Amino acid sequence: MTTLNTSRRPRWVRSTLTGYAFLAPSLVLLGLFVFLPLGWAFVISLKQTNGFGDGAFVGLSNYGRLLTDPVFWRVTFNTALFTSIVVPVSMALGLGLAMLMNSVLPVRALFRTIIVLPMVISGVATALIGVLVYDQNNGIANKLLRVIGLGSIPWQSSGPGAFASVVLVTLWWRIGFNMIIYLAALQGVSPELYESARIEGANARQQLRYITWPMVGPSTFFLLIMNVIHSFQVFDVIFVLTQGGPGNSTSVLVTYAYTNGFLIRDQGYATAIGIFLLAITLVFTAIQWRVSRTRDLVE
Amino acid sequence: MQMSRRQVLGAVGAFSLGAVLTSCAGFVRPASTPATGELTFTTWGSDSELVGFRKAITGFESANPGAKITLNVVPYQQIYPTVDAQLQSNTAPDIFRVDYRNFGRYAGSKQLLNLEPLLDASVGASFTDALWRAVQFDGKPYGVPHHTDTTAILYNKAAFAAAGITSVPTTLETAWTWDEFEKVALTLQRKLPAGKYPFAYNWQGQGAARWLNWLFQADGRFLDKKLRSPAIDSEAGRAAIDFTKSFFTRKLVPANNSVKSSTYASDLFFSETVAMTFAGAFLIPDAAKLANFEWGATFSPQDKRGGGDLGGNALVATAGTTKKTLAAKFLTHMVGQKTMRDFCATSSLLPTRKDLVDKGIEFTVRPELSKVFVGQASTVRAADTAQVASPAMGAITTVLSDQLEQAFIGGQSTKDTLAGMTAGIKQALSR
Repeated sequence: MTTLNTSRRPRWVRSTLTGYAFLAPSLVLLGLFVFLPLGWAFVISLKQTNGFGDGAFVGLSNYGRLLTDPVFWRVTFNTALFTSIVVPVSMALGLGLAMLMNSVLPVRALFRTIIVLPMVISGVATALIGVLVYDQNNGIANKLLRVIGLGSIPWQSSGPGAFASVVLVTLWWRIGFNMIIYLAALQGVSPELYESARIEGANARQQLRYITWPMVGPSTFFLLIMNVIHSFQVFDVIFVLTQGGPGNSTSVLVTYAYTNGFLIRDQGYATAIGIFLLAITLVFTAIQWRVSRTRDLVE
Repeated sequence: MQMSRRQVLGAVGAFSLGAVLTSCAGFVRPASTPATGELTFTTWGSDSELVGFRKAITGFESANPGAKITLNVVPYQQIYPTVDAQLQSNTAPDIFRVDYRNFGRYAGSKQLLNLEPLLDASVGASFTDALWRAVQFDGKPYGVPHHTDTTAILYNKAAFAAAGITSVPTTLETAWTWDEFEKVALTLQRKLPAGKYPFAYNWQGQGAARWLNWLFQADGRFLDKKLRSPAIDSEAGRAAIDFTKSFFTRKLVPANNSVKSSTYASDLFFSETVAMTFAGAFLIPDAAKLANFEWGATFSPQDKRGGGDLGGNALVATAGTTKKTLAAKFLTHMVGQKTMRDFCATSSLLPTRKDLVDKGIEFTVRPELSKVFVGQASTVRAADTAQVASPAMGAITTVLSDQLEQAFIGGQSTKDTLAGMTAGIKQALSR
């Protein structure tokens, strides 16, 4: 018995050590480039600093300021509204297009390329194209609207118009990614499932509800998390397209953090906004992780 | 380690030579003594500016064999985050380019080299008072004014002719008053087709501080004389806000010409959406290429006095540089008469040296417009630039941007706008 125990323990220890040895490079990189900066950022959020020197320790007062800052609540609302529109719409359009591309659509390779094209362009370039499209005096969108007799939309000088332009440009940019992920998932669904359903008399809507939707569950879970994180972190499109205006109608958490950090030079407060953003992203991801029933579903 | 007699003598000789060179370069006119070593220089720049910088660097290296300047070019949008990160990590360049509105932030944070002991005492006297004041902090120079720029008006000649406007002011003294400018704008408005507007103002893209031109023209201030408290809540402040708000309420500018718009005033001019635009001289080469119509330039309007914004940039050395003497020598070279004249002429920018201002310069592109911009720059006063050089100017610009946006297209009253500006400036100064 004693001999057996002593021979098992070193093996267990050895196997654990081997596991950690394999993990070590990733852990070191994560620690160095993710957890250490995160911890550092939290320390900065407890200071009043312009970025130079040590700054002054102010405890949680930057977090206290968040509660009483009306612009912060406005940009938080904008971020939530943007996320609640862009995430479901981009996923629904992505799934719809993926189903279309998975069917017998003629020249689908061409359509697929056209839809995916914005995905390979940077956010800044996409937004610059958006500036040309949504310029309210000379942009393509208003020219088209005027041709069909619908008049002009104040894309740049009214809050709702500017917000709509940001949403439309983001959708155009994101749909390709959603479509690609859903297309990969759809191509992994066995045609026999649909064939059986059809034999049993299921119509197209029922096939979508009871076969397609559950079978793309893991992709939906992945896309939901990614889209929410991207939406919470949206910056480049807004920075180039509207600069947060008019007023603060298109400002979001990241653009507000940027303004505080790099224009006002209130880096402690800017970092507190960043930590708040991290916290709500983690909370949302944890909730999704708990409630999603189809995230690991396989055929 | 043992050293031979020859090695010891060589080392002593090298040390002595270095000490002699260092002392000469530090206390005698820097331009007269060759200097050696390597400096890193970070800047942004248009194509023509970079040509000017490279030419100036070559000139310095030729005059100082053994000196090398490594130029690092970054996009304008990234210059301050890049330099800040480098300063925070002790990897900052020896020299960098900074606009006057951001200068105070670096000087006030003790990030810049005090040039007072390194520059020849006569250097300051060679610049205009306003520009030399713009690189001072606590009465000491922390940089050299490399060039300046200010806002004047570019106008579409055909649109003016169609509206029956046959002449524009050709001297600073005869520049339009606010009333005259308004009449010109209203005349244009009556004659222009639908969808076209009299003018656009260039306060987009972090340019909200250009609104201060109107405040200065009304003889106002945004900081008190000690630069410690807001002073914008004044008759001049009220007049400036009322007048500029009326541009939007009377539709003299397009609705998307507000402060946070992504459409620049110059683009509205090039596309002939507006008949006039307020613009800096730096825009002349672009206008020559992009405006497919005949255009000219005239002076900005004046109210109680003329006034203009403090555009342009200073060159500064970082406090942590180990080559202080060489850095000072390079900065002196960059603001030498010939170097500055060449740079300004090529880049359509304005000189900061008194002798060049007095003689005038000729831009390479549209040289006949040089006198308009040089004349306009003379309306910038030292009292104005002292306020703009405040360490809080970055935060104050954000306050101006937010409040003006609310006033122009958010329907905010002048009273509330002044109150918002006063509170914001106070908070910015307290940080």
